[in-house]
Amino acid sequence: MNRVLGLFQRWPFAFAMLLCAVLLVVNLVVSPSFVSPSRLGMTLATLAPFVLVGFASTPAILSGGIDISVGPLATLINCVFVAILIPAGLGDWPLAVPLLLGIAMAVGAINGVLVAIVRLHPVVATTGVLFLLIGASLTIAKNPVIAPDNWTRPLAGSIGVVPGAIITLGAAALVWFVLKRTVFVSNLLATGESDSSAYGSGVNVTAIRVLAYTLGGLFAGIAGIALTALLQASGSTLATTYALLGLAAAVLGGTSLGGGRGSLLGTFFGALAIYLLQQLLTSAGVQPNLIEFTYGLLLIAGVVLGATLLSPRISRRTA
Amino acid sequence: MTTQLSVATPTPAEPRYGIWPRTRRLVLQQPILQVLVLGVVVVWLLVTVPGIANLRSATALLIIASLLSLAAMGQTLVVILGGLDLAIPGYVIFGAFAAANLAGGQGWPVPAAFLLTIAVCGGLGATIGFLCHRLKVEPLMMTLGMGAVLTGGTLFLANGNYASAPAGFLRGLAGVTSTTFGIPIPPIILIVAAAAVLLWLGLTRTPAGRSLYATGINARAARLTRINTTAVWTLVFAASGALAGIAGMFIASFSSGWAQSIGEPYLFSGLAAVLVGGTTFGSIRGSFTRTLLGALILTGLSTIIVSNGLAEAQSRIIYGVIILIVVALYGRERHVRDRF
Repeated sequence: MNRVLGLFQRWPFAFAMLLCAVLLVVNLVVSPSFVSPSRLGMTLATLAPFVLVGFASTPAILSGGIDISVGPLATLINCVFVAILIPAGLGDWPLAVPLLLGIAMAVGAINGVLVAIVRLHPVVATTGVLFLLIGASLTIAKNPVIAPDNWTRPLAGSIGVVPGAIITLGAAALVWFVLKRTVFVSNLLATGESDSSAYGSGVNVTAIRVLAYTLGGLFAGIAGIALTALLQASGSTLATTYALLGLAAAVLGGTSLGGGRGSLLGTFFGALAIYLLQQLLTSAGVQPNLIEFTYGLLLIAGVVLGATLLSPRISRRTA
Repeated sequence: MTTQLSVATPTPAEPRYGIWPRTRRLVLQQPILQVLVLGVVVVWLLVTVPGIANLRSATALLIIASLLSLAAMGQTLVVILGGLDLAIPGYVIFGAFAAANLAGGQGWPVPAAFLLTIAVCGGLGATIGFLCHRLKVEPLMMTLGMGAVLTGGTLFLANGNYASAPAGFLRGLAGVTSTTFGIPIPPIILIVAAAAVLLWLGLTRTPAGRSLYATGINARAARLTRINTTAVWTLVFAASGALAGIAGMFIASFSSGWAQSIGEPYLFSGLAAVLVGGTTFGSIRGSFTRTLLGALILTGLSTIIVSNGLAEAQSRIIYGVIILIVVALYGRERHVRDRF
């Protein structure tokens, strides 16, 4: 028993992974067609924006801050593409992808500058930006605009035999994989664990923070593209829904809000667990309101378990 | 009002005399800036929308500002403590449900609805506060989960019935045309004003208020001075829940009904009111008076924006800009090199 607990404590995302495995089995029992090849593309496409928004909130949390504005940023990118770029004739992918990701990274960088250089409290800075982004999305497309046929459609279906969502998820994972080979990620974790120690060891804390938020912006941009692929319309009203889902996914995946501990893989399992739970309850015919109820309970239980059984008893910091 | 406490501010060595440092200190300690901005907003409102200068419109504006500040009252306390309460929408929805479906539709007596709201929202809030402090977890996730639990649970109980009107007595408290003992001011405005005075006295003149500020600035130091920080956390989150629940009852009574999305705006606008007022996380300068000013400023601004033909979307953008400017003016944190 102690060895199992030790395993959980060494791998913070083991809990989310176990939860995923259990939910997957129950899902398969309730509706066996759940992972049939014909539905796999659609399932992954629904999952992708979810996971990507979770990815987007992870670097900021790892750096010891928090970014509430990534969900609204994803919907802004969705609105910009559907309601501005396509009508203006800029909708081809060689032009649109750099443009959208550029905007997303710029917004992320603004968050980073506000947090690291203007030195606002991360919650305050990103709440301010959240208002700006929600306002901008509503200004661009107050009512849903239906997108004409465009290059994002295969991303929600399949390209050849490969499900399209693998490309959006894979792009984000590849960026993280490459960055893990550089000094950036270890400096990021050091900054999150203790910024004054990192500063004392010569880490450029300010630059690391700005880069962390910029990276979050990039992931949010990819999430916006995945969202467009799924909706094929502009969904400015989804902004607040996604705002808090990403945070929930990251924390359920073992990323510590104090900063310095966690991983993108954990976030993936966190998002997957939330998605599988919703899927299970929906296919079991439970009311949508009770699904929200259960999701809340899962979140509380996850946080409480993470803080009691599953946390190593070293370096508990005072809140 | 926080002058007595200012001794404890960890100000770095800076010149204490001369006009500039003194003005700066005054602006930091008292919400002078907010009062000035409020003055500008009122003048601007009167110039661009002259038709607003009658009793009816002014009352309506004041009611909206009162409801916003009542919903943000608990959030103010939580922010002073250094946390954030994301469960506000859940509390507001439960309050609205109690006012409309229980007291209105099912004919519960109004005091019973009040007690139920306070017991449920306050009880759940207390649980969050206790758990967060005991387990040393950020209140962000716990309150987010609790908000989802409350919203989902309440909507399930309501079972799609949003049609019943709140009880007549409650509508009398929050209606635009209501009077208080013959004075043409709706009771809700006076209730919020009275609560503001009580809270101001409580925060600045009682040991409980001092414990709250001390815990917010440094929980460890506060515990070492024998303040029961667990009790402070439990009570503050309980108060946040109960106050937001009561605000929800009045919000439903003011708009004579409710909807699924009634709570969400009050979370973000309420937080905006707290921040624009100048209360920052774990600070001694936070107070409800500031939130009141913030709520008035935001209500005035969104009225100007909407009556100038701009949409709700533009007012969101302006909210965001104002939050960033106000907090950049005096909510800045120290550089890493100064925190060794």
